[in-house]
Amino acid sequence: MRLNTIEFLLHEGWDAAVRNGLVTLAAISNVAVALLILGGLVLFGMNVEHMASLQAEAAVIVVELAEGADAAAVEEALWNERVKNIEPINAEENLQRTIEGMGLGLMESSEASAELMIELLGANPCPASLQIKPMDPQDIPELARQAEGVEGVAMVRYARQVTDKLLTMARGIRISGVVVGIVMAVATLLVISTTIRLTIHARRDEIRIMQLVGATNWFIRVPFVIEGVLDGLAGGAIAAAIVLPIYSYIEQYVGQNLQFIDLIYSAQALVLFAVALVLCGVVFGAAGSLMGLHRYLRQV
Amino acid sequence: MIHLQSVSMIYPDGTEALRDVDLLIERGQFAFITGHSGSGKSTLLGLIYRDMVPTAGSVIVDGQDVAKLPPRRVPFLRRKVGVVFQDFGLLPQKTVWENVGFALDVVGASRREKHRKVPIGLELVGLADKGDAFPHQLSAGECQRVSIARALVNGPSILLADEPTGNLDPDTSWEIIQLLLNICQQDTTVVMATHDREIVDRTNCRLVQLAQGRIVRDAKEGGKYDAP
Repeated sequence: MRLNTIEFLLHEGWDAAVRNGLVTLAAISNVAVALLILGGLVLFGMNVEHMASLQAEAAVIVVELAEGADAAAVEEALWNERVKNIEPINAEENLQRTIEGMGLGLMESSEASAELMIELLGANPCPASLQIKPMDPQDIPELARQAEGVEGVAMVRYARQVTDKLLTMARGIRISGVVVGIVMAVATLLVISTTIRLTIHARRDEIRIMQLVGATNWFIRVPFVIEGVLDGLAGGAIAAAIVLPIYSYIEQYVGQNLQFIDLIYSAQALVLFAVALVLCGVVFGAAGSLMGLHRYLRQV
Repeated sequence: MIHLQSVSMIYPDGTEALRDVDLLIERGQFAFITGHSGSGKSTLLGLIYRDMVPTAGSVIVDGQDVAKLPPRRVPFLRRKVGVVFQDFGLLPQKTVWENVGFALDVVGASRREKHRKVPIGLELVGLADKGDAFPHQLSAGECQRVSIARALVNGPSILLADEPTGNLDPDTSWEIIQLLLNICQQDTTVVMATHDREIVDRTNCRLVQLAQGRIVRDAKEGGKYDAP
């Protein structure tokens, strides 16, 4: 394509966007609102999933060893590629942790409490155990089942219901996020293609003349696509400029007041998110224009 | 150059615009297509520049059956066939120079080519000094001249004019006809649809008369509008 042609197409696209000022403004604000909702939903979904994953990641499998079992041998048998880490806990430590966990601090320190407990009961009620941390929390049920079959294992425990629920929730959020995202994307596309159709209608004489003097359909499309891209670019930038400060404020507020909630926050991730939002606007703008033109160019 | 063979055209609403039309127009010829409103004049022109496809028959333009042309080849046909309308079809926000240059822009002409061809086109229609004017600053006759310059600037071998004098007074109409005759003498085939009897009678050109979608008369030279 010649430089002159590129210049002509860019000029026509820009000129059309400026000339149809009100329609352009409508298109930009429609894109901005749609991307604002889409961006907000994506951020919300990402955070819920992030929190569910954090909880699920904290989950471990506790393998209680049978009396006299060889801890090293059992540990050896439990290792596989899906295991991230195995922490051996001897009986004394296990008792101390149990006391701490249950708040049974009878003495000043948990060691002293443990000693008192052993003295009272005549033996340590807690067996030695191994704590397995999986690579992926989804593998917990499967790893637990495998551990049950290993020789020297007395009992296998994990927070079955909590882990299962969290995992199901994370999966649910991911799927509903994708569904809502697709619905919003389609809505955005329709909004842009309808808006572009308005500008096409306003310029139907120009299109007719272009066709009569021998312009190819691609040549006719390009200025409209440029116009759609400009609308999408502006709409995406506005959406990013609104959603990011609001999110930063929420993150700060939550960080200070609701410390049990851990929101995703990294400058790099947010910049990437803003770029993705603008790119979404550009892609939707171009695709919406092509959709709007497709029907029209067949009609003329 | 233009050869219609057994062409019929029925619109989707059932209107029969042309019925079994055979017509041969030689290279460099000037032909009037006359007839009442609704006789099929515009449809006949529309078939030549592939604005529509005939229901039956073939339309050969420059050796090519345009009815069978795939849609992506249509723009290239239109570069060989200039079209002029009664309503001029100028872009109001562009100057005369830009309106003519627009036809070169859309075919991807270089800047140099544009600067060479636009003045020639404007010179040809006698508007060399009006390049900077906008359409609303021109008279109707001047607007039609601009539209002719735009149709010719890509050097088409055929010029189709659909009632080009329909909006013009008799004197201006005659000037436009003189211009079209001039263009024809430079080896461009001109086909003009009109129902302006004065113009037809004053020239000595071929006359094809249509009535209800059929050719009822084909006077090779100097046919009079009202002749039987």
